[in-house]
Amino acid sequence: MSSPAVVFLDDAPPRRDLLGGKGYGLVRLSVAGLRVPPGFVVTTAAYRAAIPDALRRQIRYRLEGVAPDAPVGDVDRVTAEIRAGIVDATAQHDGRGAVDEAYARLSERCGTEAAVAVRSSSAAEDAADRSFAGEHDTFLWVRGAEDVQRRVRDCWASLFTTRAVHYARGLAGGAVEPAMAVVVQQMVPARSAGVFLTLNPLNGDRSKVVIESVWGLGEPLVSGQVDPDRFLVDKVTGEILRRDVVVKPTRLVTDPGSGRGTAVAAVTDADQQQPSLSDPEIGELVRLARLVERDAGRPQDGEFATEDGAAPGNVFLVQARPETAWSHRAPQPVAAGKTAMDAILGTLSGFGRGGSDPLQRGG
Amino acid sequence: MVDRFPSPFDVATPPGAEGWERMYDWYHLFGEERREADEQRFWFQDRLHHPDVLHPYDEIQCECWWQALGAFNTRIFAMPPAYGVDQRVLNGRLYVTPIAAPPEEVAARAEEFARRAGHYYEHWDDIYAEWKHKVLGKLDEIRAIDFEPLPALEPDSVVFDHVGFSSGYRMIRDFDRLVLTMYETYQYHFELLNIGYAAYVNFFLFCRNAFPDISEQAISRMVGGLRVDLYRPDDELKRLAKEAERLGIGEQVLGSSGATALFAELDGSDAGREWVADWNATADPWFLIATDPGHPGGYHTYPTWLDSPDIPLSAVREYVRRVRAGESIDRPTGEVLAERDRITAEYRELLAVDDVAVFDESIALARKVFAYIEEHVLYIEHWIWSTFWSKSRQLSRALAAMGEFDEAEDMFFLRRYEVAEALYDTVAGWSVGSRGRGADYWRPIVAERRRIYEALRVAPLVPALGPPPDEINEPFTVMLWGITSTTVREWLTSGGDGEVVTLKGTPGSRGVVEGVVRVVTHVDQLADVQLGEVLVCPATSPAWSPAFARVSATISDVGGIMSHTAIVCREYQLPAVVGTGVAVATLRTGQRVRVDGDNGVVTVLD
Repeated sequence: MSSPAVVFLDDAPPRRDLLGGKGYGLVRLSVAGLRVPPGFVVTTAAYRAAIPDALRRQIRYRLEGVAPDAPVGDVDRVTAEIRAGIVDATAQHDGRGAVDEAYARLSERCGTEAAVAVRSSSAAEDAADRSFAGEHDTFLWVRGAEDVQRRVRDCWASLFTTRAVHYARGLAGGAVEPAMAVVVQQMVPARSAGVFLTLNPLNGDRSKVVIESVWGLGEPLVSGQVDPDRFLVDKVTGEILRRDVVVKPTRLVTDPGSGRGTAVAAVTDADQQQPSLSDPEIGELVRLARLVERDAGRPQDGEFATEDGAAPGNVFLVQARPETAWSHRAPQPVAAGKTAMDAILGTLSGFGRGGSDPLQRGG
Repeated sequence: MVDRFPSPFDVATPPGAEGWERMYDWYHLFGEERREADEQRFWFQDRLHHPDVLHPYDEIQCECWWQALGAFNTRIFAMPPAYGVDQRVLNGRLYVTPIAAPPEEVAARAEEFARRAGHYYEHWDDIYAEWKHKVLGKLDEIRAIDFEPLPALEPDSVVFDHVGFSSGYRMIRDFDRLVLTMYETYQYHFELLNIGYAAYVNFFLFCRNAFPDISEQAISRMVGGLRVDLYRPDDELKRLAKEAERLGIGEQVLGSSGATALFAELDGSDAGREWVADWNATADPWFLIATDPGHPGGYHTYPTWLDSPDIPLSAVREYVRRVRAGESIDRPTGEVLAERDRITAEYRELLAVDDVAVFDESIALARKVFAYIEEHVLYIEHWIWSTFWSKSRQLSRALAAMGEFDEAEDMFFLRRYEVAEALYDTVAGWSVGSRGRGADYWRPIVAERRRIYEALRVAPLVPALGPPPDEINEPFTVMLWGITSTTVREWLTSGGDGEVVTLKGTPGSRGVVEGVVRVVTHVDQLADVQLGEVLVCPATSPAWSPAFARVSATISDVGGIMSHTAIVCREYQLPAVVGTGVAVATLRTGQRVRVDGDNGVVTVLD
């Protein structure tokens, strides 16, 4: 087998089949010279080597035995058994040594036993036409080699969550050849975190970047549990055109007791109504988002985090992937086929219609 | 909230101003005969062009644009939805209302407009070159006019050159010429202005459609930034500052008090003489700059830099100080242009493929017309109007010297038709060797009008009259005056006496700044402006440019995103909120405010 079991983000071949969607996105960011938290990918090759042929056949057989209209309870039972089987069967897999070695190197780089995020990175997800958003597992604030090993195997197993199986069947008719890479990446002790989108999802306008952010870790925002601050920024000029700052009473932090896992903490009264990103942080984030978009050649969405310290150095991209809703369609023309004179006549006669001030900023 | 402004027929005459109507032309007044129509119309006070009470003589400025703007919109280019802008004078102040074309005419007018304005757009650069030639020729004509007191005996030349007419006749003729030449020049002013604005507005709205939340500033940055003559006067001041340093006379330039004393002092050295010669060569025409706080050239009362060299001198001093402090005083034209090209290319890349062609055509046209939109202000408002007022003042001095008035300024309390009468009175008396009725006749009239004028000036402002429309949809009202449906609502609600905490205007230049207010209503007060203060003014003109080097932000009462204030603040990268309507009346020097040029909001902080 020529493909390595583990590759570091800053030294990996940009191959989606090897890195999975998430790992591939991160490597692209890294190659483009963007700040991403340090980490490594346990490749799909490691996954394939770890799953014995017999188990793979057995999984396929069991999944095929589930009727498309089977009750959810039945599917749950089958997928749970498959996942348990994977976790058991991979306890002594060949790539263990490589994972231990990589985690040790990462810890050395951080100066302490690294707290990491362990994220599933399936070969099918984050492709331009499907997001698989949230179908596989992610584990935050994992610390210690044993825990990391276990979470890597949990991620492999999460290739077969009920959600993912349904999603794969619905979108791809079940034809997805399952393979899972796992991203192990240093946790950013996020002061604030959130998501960005390099177009305005309300109207498809590609000259804007939309940012949502919260205090603390971004997970509650990504999973839709909290209402974030929202910013609309002009990509070309950097102007912050709209700011909707909400009251944010809580934030997710690393569990202060164990240093592993996360906990909900209160936000101080003073900070609750403050924007969770400063203007320089927004400026840096927009710059990074544009670089990612340029590099990918199409609109992107992604996640970011900021840590304590001064902008721009404190802004990190945690991941980026192609935007899937609007980027299939070309921008809609507003004056297609018109001459400037046609447009001038339209402008003069249509002026002021629609009940608002035509030259005032909308909204 | 009240839903309409007072009827023009219900606005009281300010105490002491009774009889003000006789100061203005009868056709310029609201009248009972057209009461029914006029009460149905929405009138707003034109503080952009005429922020102060009009002198009777200065009414000619309003007349010029009333007729010329109207004719070009209504009769020449057939601007599809808009006829002209009607005017009335009430309590000495100018009110205007745009007139919409009847809806049934719009389609036919559109066809004509495409043919007529299309010809201009297609040949814009050539036509503009012709235009400059034409207009600068008018400047020469006005400059050639000379009003001196009439001689006791005509010079030999009248006889031996067979002139064939008297100096008295020539004076009557030249006054007519002065007025007609000015009138003709203002035709040319509107020959290109409104179709230019139409092309600009078109590009503006195209961008709004393609990029729904794009800011005004982003759009105007794609169009502006050209190296146009309008900025030349300020550039010349900077050049003179650097020259003073190069010649080693910077200390002298900084030290002395008045321009006259300084120039006398500099006459003592070669370097000084060289600099003064440079100054004099530069001053004509570049210091032919009107200092009105509103639209430049709107009144006879404001001196030009040429008349008051202390004004440009104080600017030169400021630049010398900044050069000495190691600052760069050059306008960042290169950066502005590079940024313009970058922004344009990036938006263009984001367009739908099918929109690229119309974008290219529209921006090319918008940029072409924009040079005119900026430069015509220099040629016509500054050079020609200033010369017109200067010649008018020369005439007033000649007539006063001949006993027609007690003092020269009296002439400006006469309507221009009355000035023609006074002129005939003088010339007839001179011709026959007798005397006219002269000052004895005008004395009580002028005395009464002076009283009325003062009473009108202190009367409370009425920003608008009549029922406001549901929406302001006249392109030029919005673009040029900065008056929008929102502004009108603000006027209606801010009628009370409650403490004003925020003012809304148009975002003229981006950025947010907090600072201390300095209210300036006259260019003389610019010397008081302290570094970093927020300039609050009725409006600005190029005469105010030196102030932008000192202030941290600007708030104006009048003007849209294409106003001088907005354009210059973008150049200097200062936040600006323009067209607030009430900043001068509401804000006080020394107050702390936040100026939000991104959203067009001013917040009083204490």
